[in-house]
Amino acid sequence: MDPTLILIGALMLVISILLSPLSSRLGMPVLLIFLVVGMLMGEDGPGGLAFDDFELAFVVGNLALALILLDGGMRTRAETFRVGLRPALLLASIGVLITATVAAVTAWWLFDLHWMTAALIGAIISSTDAAAVFSLLQGRGLHLNERVGATLEIESGSNDPMAIFLTLLLVTLIDGDMASGWSSLLLLVEQFGIGSVLGIVGGRSMVWVLNRARLMPALYPLLVAAYGLALFAATNLLGGSGFLAIYLAGVVLGNRHVRMMPMILQVHDGLAWLAQMSLFLILGLLVNPSQLLPLAGGGLVLALVMILVARPLAVLSTLWPFSFNLRELSFISWVGLRGAVPIVLALFPVMHGIDEAGLIFNIAFFVVLVSLVVQGSSLASLARWLELEVPAAGEPHRRLPLDVPAAGDHELMLFPLQGERWERPCPVGRLNLPEGSDLAGVFRERECLHPEPALTVGKGDVVAVFARPAALDELGRSLSGREPPRYLAQRAFFGDFVLNGDALLGDVEEVYGIEFDALSPELTLADCFARRTKGHPVVGDRVRLGPVTLVARETEADRVTRVGLRMDEGARS
Amino acid sequence: MTETSLSIESILAPELTLCGVPGTSKKRILELIAENVARQYPELESTRIFNNLISRERLGSTGIGEGIAIPHCRLENCDRVVGVLMTLEDGISFDAIDHQPVDLVFTLIVPREATSEHLELLSQLAETFNNRTFCERLRQCEDSESLYREMTRSS
Repeated sequence: MDPTLILIGALMLVISILLSPLSSRLGMPVLLIFLVVGMLMGEDGPGGLAFDDFELAFVVGNLALALILLDGGMRTRAETFRVGLRPALLLASIGVLITATVAAVTAWWLFDLHWMTAALIGAIISSTDAAAVFSLLQGRGLHLNERVGATLEIESGSNDPMAIFLTLLLVTLIDGDMASGWSSLLLLVEQFGIGSVLGIVGGRSMVWVLNRARLMPALYPLLVAAYGLALFAATNLLGGSGFLAIYLAGVVLGNRHVRMMPMILQVHDGLAWLAQMSLFLILGLLVNPSQLLPLAGGGLVLALVMILVARPLAVLSTLWPFSFNLRELSFISWVGLRGAVPIVLALFPVMHGIDEAGLIFNIAFFVVLVSLVVQGSSLASLARWLELEVPAAGEPHRRLPLDVPAAGDHELMLFPLQGERWERPCPVGRLNLPEGSDLAGVFRERECLHPEPALTVGKGDVVAVFARPAALDELGRSLSGREPPRYLAQRAFFGDFVLNGDALLGDVEEVYGIEFDALSPELTLADCFARRTKGHPVVGDRVRLGPVTLVARETEADRVTRVGLRMDEGARS
Repeated sequence: MTETSLSIESILAPELTLCGVPGTSKKRILELIAENVARQYPELESTRIFNNLISRERLGSTGIGEGIAIPHCRLENCDRVVGVLMTLEDGISFDAIDHQPVDLVFTLIVPREATSEHLELLSQLAETFNNRTFCERLRQCEDSESLYREMTRSS
């Protein structure tokens, strides 16, 4: 192999990594930076690299997507399924179909194509991209309310099979291979059926193997990657959707007790980054911006129709039965991010040697580019404007698995004490750690101090705690002093006072001397939220009652357990 | 809307500003509050005050976090807004939202008829106690007079 190729590839990675901090400064998705670096190194850029190895790009694209989905799956909490699964599945199936149809009609009208080619374009750009959605939602410290976040994440992880199915179907149709309605239906069933069964079974077997194998710590994450890719390839060979399978395996893995999980997650975070970079760099190399220019007009219209018509239509027509409010629907409509998936799908026609493959690839590329620029860069500010963010507990600086049977689930977590609230030192004895947690030590100026109750800790100290993952949120809230922006400060967001979810409306009315018309005093506060949200409340939901606003503060399963009482707006208006 | 922001002086009597109160339980502190109010305003009945404060706590703790609690209730036959400020000798467990012990307690008792004023005053109080340096100054006070001075200086 040509060593200069390795040099160029590695240098592109170095440049991308060093440029990545620009993304938060420019408010652009980091993926766009990778794509641009790729384009600059390519034929039309100063790099001048004539790269048109579609086959290599196809392989890299598939592997990278698989790893990204595995990582995204492992970070998807099964608890979020209660609010996100059903809407996400509808979006991922019917929603994709609607998007594809609108896109196809628009493409047919814009580019004067055979209807089947137009349909193929529609199918290719119909699925939202997991890599883009995960990196923008999970990687940016953007904590959306659970109903919206879960729906978007699960959707992006599970809508590829539908898009792949539509694409494969149309490619074979155009190719002239006979595909009857019957056999295409079979293809759909195979993609989803085999994909989901193998994903769940494979995930479980992976958990079993991981918990029984005695390996060097560094090998656990690699075993997960290798096992996941094996599962991905095997599923594809059997005619199922490998993408769906590896995503589901990730979900199974991330929600079971697995040895060395924090380490696995840490390494996979890195692997997912590497996958994203390789993917977008190679796609950037592949495209020739000079060929995109003639398409700019039509491409822009198509991209805007996707953003402004197709996606909102798909969202509204699938999500109306659920309890999304208008703000939430608007946001989900806006986050129809297209990313690598459409570009990888656009390689299918190239591989099949379809006549207009080049045009299709360029159109798909253009749509993705516009989507990343327009939607990707506005998403965070839109979430804030629509008030969909919720306060999040601080994360520990590090989590270290102990991996000794006697320690059970316990991990060592490090919390640096920072922020205004730690300027007042507090004796260790009054830290009130959650049950099952204990202080391991306190670090101050390179010294390790014994955590006796009288020792005071304050700003600049690092506190090491042995705790179970279940205590993570509570620890984060009580130890991390990272100051959230003003509008997300606990008391500004939830109100100053707290009521229990099982408090009766009648009793609240009595204590505050206010009347909530139209609601029976026999209802509990939790019931009010259940009614408002069709039984699936999430933290941050609000119910306005007379002069006060109730804000869901903590939930357990589908029940609100703590309610914040906000009286500011009500009383002053 | 009428200006309802009563000044702290008009609600808080120096006699009801207590520094370094001993007491080991939430119940005991609420009892102490009720007794002190009844002593200062003999027309008010201590058990009733205590019961009303406890009924509010049953709906959810008034410990608003960072060691601060603002117990509150409405009261029959009460024709004034009564405030009670206490700093506690030791932090006590108050079931506060952040599980931290409470050592700074401001109690607000309002006439039964007061409803929107009640809410308005509560949110003003909470806002006042949102200021960390102010709370710190209150905690540093060594006697009731200086505590009263610090508190009334805020408004």
